[in-house]
Amino acid sequence: MVTKMESILAILLIIAIIISGSGLYYIADLDSRMARLEEAIGAVPAPTEFYLRFSGWGAGATEIELYETMLHNFMEENPKYYVKYEPMPTMYHENLLSMFGAYVAPDVFYVDSMWVPTFLEKGALYPVEELTTPEFIDMYYDFLLEIFKDAEGKLYGLPKDWSMLFLLYNKKLFADAGLTEPPDTWAKLLEYSEKIADTTGKPGLSIYTGGFERYLPVALSEGAPKPIFNSAADAAWFERTDVKDTLKWYVELYTKGKTEREAARLTPYVVSPADIGKGWLGDAFGSESVAMVISGNWIIPFLADEFPDFEFGTDWDIAPVPKGSWGRANMAFTVCLGINRYTKYPSAAWHLVEYLMGVEGQKKLVVEMGHTLPSIEELATSPDLWPQHRKTLDYLTTPGYDVVMAWFMGPKSGELGGKFSTAIELAMLGEVTVDDALTEMYNAVVDAFAE
Amino acid sequence: MTPSLFSNLKSLFEKKSRREAIEGYLLIAAGTSVILFFSIFVMLYAFYLSFFSWDFLTPMKFVGVENYVKVFEEIWDGICGGSPFRTQFFIGIKNVLFYTAIVVPTQTILAIILAVFANQKIKGISFYKVSYFLPSVTCSVIIALIFVWLFQKEGLINYFLSSMIPGFAPNWMRDVHYALWAIMLVAIWGTSGNLMISFLAALQALPQEVYEAASIDGAGRFKKFFYITLPLLKPMIGYSVVVGTIGCLQMFDLAYAMPGPGFSTTTVVQNIYNTCFAESKVGLACAKSFFLFAVIFAITYAMRRKFRYETT
Repeated sequence: MVTKMESILAILLIIAIIISGSGLYYIADLDSRMARLEEAIGAVPAPTEFYLRFSGWGAGATEIELYETMLHNFMEENPKYYVKYEPMPTMYHENLLSMFGAYVAPDVFYVDSMWVPTFLEKGALYPVEELTTPEFIDMYYDFLLEIFKDAEGKLYGLPKDWSMLFLLYNKKLFADAGLTEPPDTWAKLLEYSEKIADTTGKPGLSIYTGGFERYLPVALSEGAPKPIFNSAADAAWFERTDVKDTLKWYVELYTKGKTEREAARLTPYVVSPADIGKGWLGDAFGSESVAMVISGNWIIPFLADEFPDFEFGTDWDIAPVPKGSWGRANMAFTVCLGINRYTKYPSAAWHLVEYLMGVEGQKKLVVEMGHTLPSIEELATSPDLWPQHRKTLDYLTTPGYDVVMAWFMGPKSGELGGKFSTAIELAMLGEVTVDDALTEMYNAVVDAFAE
Repeated sequence: MTPSLFSNLKSLFEKKSRREAIEGYLLIAAGTSVILFFSIFVMLYAFYLSFFSWDFLTPMKFVGVENYVKVFEEIWDGICGGSPFRTQFFIGIKNVLFYTAIVVPTQTILAIILAVFANQKIKGISFYKVSYFLPSVTCSVIIALIFVWLFQKEGLINYFLSSMIPGFAPNWMRDVHYALWAIMLVAIWGTSGNLMISFLAALQALPQEVYEAASIDGAGRFKKFFYITLPLLKPMIGYSVVVGTIGCLQMFDLAYAMPGPGFSTTTVVQNIYNTCFAESKVGLACAKSFFLFAVIFAITYAMRRKFRYETT
């Protein structure tokens, strides 16, 4: 005879099996689930034909609002489209990857240049060449397009904008220290920082502890080649004398300029933003806590928004990145607008990308907003380009950069970038020696290609 | 089997008391199924995933126990003094064990002291109770953000510290030797109030006769506390140590919101998170999770046995 308890347990067991079974079915039956999901999504806005989801990290309320207006206009002009904007402010790429895992990734999304190889390797991006004409692609800077190509040279995304580095200096603090010109060499940068600290009592320069990409202009300007890692053998980059010497110099900026100076009870001439209670270089410079920072075009709208009284031209100015004994080097940072490989409507998604990133779209989103630099070459001469941005662009011709490296180090970029920066940070904090840091970076490359 | 079960179900429904029981189970079915799916099923699925190599985007590949082998290799490498860049999981374990060893005893002792104070009949005691308890109802990430500000080199904490100990003003969040200590202080501050409420409830449930008898025997306040209160609180202490240990070993939020330089504040769960989302090694992350589960299970089991022996 079956007891009462057994009956109840049997019922519970049946419920559990049904629930777990449906769960397993849910996981196991991916293809048909995706089809059903797409069907369901496609069916939501009844009158529209193309339902698209668009995602980016959304830098601030102004940018989000602007995108919403742009998308609203796009939908008015194209009644068959419905675009849902889904900004993800934190842990963007991590979220995006797990969305891919759950088959719910957006149709159009940002990918940072460092993360492009990860997405390419896994076949997550749609080859945009198949959706557009060569003339459209030709409008963009070639050196930016290179990052978004696979080994066969096939293009998987277009740069939505770009930025490069430059020196920002506080004119008031320079005058107080008796300096008239911004430093033009790395040696002068160090000399001026010290002089400003000694005369004004404020640190001359702010840098991040870590930040491999901020160190690279120093290495490249002393003659090191671009660090592109395609195999374990490329780790040899860290064995070069110019790399060793420049890294030592860069680390000593902090160990000598901050740690040793504080031990001697002197004003440090180099600090990190965190040392002076600031979130990032923009805060440190805008609040006039330091005299110089080397940052990118993204700092310009921030300074205009947050420190409106700190005026460009009168209070602060821009100068080219200092040069080394070999020449002058700079970094270029860019983000691509990619299309999901599994999107149901590739050409509709392309239509949206074209709208946002074409001449008109970039003009509104990038140029007029003073956001960063336009990735379409002809917009560089637009009269709407902010004077600060214009000035940074002009440095490409005078004094000119001997090398501009797009921030990208080959197929393992994302993974390596973080490890290199941690190694530099530990060396700056005096936890490891510069030689140890170099060994760790060498090993990181070997490990990355060992798997 | 089927007909007998069916007839049984029928008879089950016929009896009123059984019907009530069924109704009861149906009522909890909603909650139970949520737990079954979102906890039990998800856990089992993570265990299943730990035998696969998966990066979210390409198809899963069965690799057997390879992920577990990697976990043990990383730990062994760490024990042998391997590079910190290759042994972050081991560093996480080391950090978290140290963190637990400091935080759990401190927060428990502090909670008992606070509870004893809160148990006094003095005016305005509710105010103190509320102030001790407030941190527990505040989001830990917000607490962390406020403390990052307080822990600055020129911050409020150093302002008081340097007035007490001249020349002592560490740059808490930027110094590898202090960053983890800063997180510990926040954790202790945040959880003691919560534990205090549990201890207060336990204190108020203690039998008064024992105290009265002790008073007649001439026991003073301290004797009463050490020979009566503490032994009687033992089950509660055991509970809070076990729960606190589990919580500490799984610490993530504070380390995420208050990151120290280098690997000084890396925790196990943070490393699992990075393995999964930053490196997209889902299988390896699941294997690490189950390793952590085994560690927590072993420690909890050992503690439970210890406290059971001592209380019986």
